[in-house]
Amino acid sequence: MPEILQYAYMQRALFVGLLLSVIVACLGTVMVHKRLSMIGDALSHSSLAGVALGLLLGFNPIVGAMAVCIVAAFSIEIIRKKLGDHSELAVAIVMSTGIGLAGVMSGFVKSSADFNSFLFGSIVAISGFEARLVMILSAIVLVAFVLLYKELFYISFDEQAASISGVPVGAVNAIFTILTAVTVSIAARTVGALIVSSLLVVPVAAAMSIARSFRTTVLWAIFVSVFSTIGGLVLSFYMGLKPGGTIVLISVAFFLVFRVIALFRGTASSDAKKGA
Amino acid sequence: MENVIEVSDMSFGYTRDMILEHVDFTVEKGDFAAVIGDNGVGKSTMVKLLLGVLKPTKGSISISGKQVTSLRGTGIGYLPQNGGSKAAAFPATCEEIVMSGLYSKIGFARFPNKSHRAKVEEALKKVDMLDKRKALIGELSGGQQQRVMLARVLAGDPEVLILDEPTVGIDAESVDRLLHILHHLNIDKKVTILMVTHDIEKVGPYANRVLCLSEGACREELLPDAKIVHAHAHSHPHGGSEHIHCANCEHSDSHGHDAEHCAECAHCDTHCGHDHTHHDDHDHHGKGAV
Repeated sequence: MPEILQYAYMQRALFVGLLLSVIVACLGTVMVHKRLSMIGDALSHSSLAGVALGLLLGFNPIVGAMAVCIVAAFSIEIIRKKLGDHSELAVAIVMSTGIGLAGVMSGFVKSSADFNSFLFGSIVAISGFEARLVMILSAIVLVAFVLLYKELFYISFDEQAASISGVPVGAVNAIFTILTAVTVSIAARTVGALIVSSLLVVPVAAAMSIARSFRTTVLWAIFVSVFSTIGGLVLSFYMGLKPGGTIVLISVAFFLVFRVIALFRGTASSDAKKGA
Repeated sequence: MENVIEVSDMSFGYTRDMILEHVDFTVEKGDFAAVIGDNGVGKSTMVKLLLGVLKPTKGSISISGKQVTSLRGTGIGYLPQNGGSKAAAFPATCEEIVMSGLYSKIGFARFPNKSHRAKVEEALKKVDMLDKRKALIGELSGGQQQRVMLARVLAGDPEVLILDEPTVGIDAESVDRLLHILHHLNIDKKVTILMVTHDIEKVGPYANRVLCLSEGACREELLPDAKIVHAHAHSHPHGGSEHIHCANCEHSDSHGHDAEHCAECAHCDTHCGHDHTHHDDHDHHGKGAV
């Protein structure tokens, strides 16, 4: 057995990383195509306010992060609708509020090490409870994603047309928002709040370079996400690197390689083609 | 003739100032109604009201006998302006996009089956895009993208088609092709069409009604006879002219009820009231009349 698998904490890290990388890629594909790439940033930063609240009041920081993430996600949706043409400001407003709250509350947290573990993640230090939480969440997200795949595709592509054709856009968006908020708050614990938004976007960006349909975009995003996560954990174990950062850098490497392949195949994104 | 779209005493304003005031009109089953009007007069707003995206400040709108508050099941298809442009950077095949037009019919937590895939093929065939079904939508021209978007609408078998300036931003040949497809849907499939357009020169020949939005109100315009391409068999109670054309010399005549012979060449084959199939036999599109 390879050395990396001889340690229970690494077995758990690999298993949790595998599950999270799959669901983050699924949600990220929808998020990017809904033009909401920055929501991951806003939610992960807001989750820090929940972490600080949990550490301050003495309950599980992940629960605090989940609650704040859900409130933040719905706040973005509400503010987005109110701002009309400037709807993109909603993400910045919520992110700023989250960072502000996290900054103020972190000043009262006694153990700064606990708080920092959420900033950069600690996938190799997750508890059995957290691993079970990830397993349950992953099952829920995967089932919901498969069942709502059609609706999520249609809403990502053309929300108004989906609404006119009878798709329950409000309900589907609400479910997606909750799933994203919960996933981001848990992923923040493993790869870190500062890195989770990259994992939501970069594998999808890589996939878009070479995919030939929406379905294959999802599959390629999962592929990049899984291999970046497993590769990052393995590399960080043998080379003594920080796992979160290593995972993201590998996914960026995938993106660059896929772009080069796309250029050679002449299948770069339509924007690139139109600009050529 | 059955009214498919009924707008009565409808007013709407985003603020206290009304954009549309006391708008009244009906569109009958089988009509091809072109809606014209200057920029900013409220054409697109009216489309949003018809679709239920906006709610009238006053008055009512009904489509296929149902008040427009919930559009589910009213059989409406909607093709927006530059429909395909949204798709330019979206990594989806034409097939995937057309299939999305069937999603509400497939239902929650169900997956497309063979019959749905056959419907998608049929819709792509109707718009002459079957050979591009595996192509990414972003790789197509503006006109082709718009045809794929039309196929998405057609996959749902709409009884009413509402189009908001669908010819904007596409080349002349694609416009002709799109109008030709719409013409056949209108004539062969009896699809009722309401199209907002600035391009009345192109669209006029295919429409049997022209509704003009001006200063917040809606009135019916007479079609210029010389532009008529095909005839509708039913009458137009709102003041629009009823046109026929001669199969022999292509002369159009708006007094067809009483005409025994074509005024130009005396050819006798032009009674209004002939069925549509008959008129289709003499369709001028193939002769490059448009």
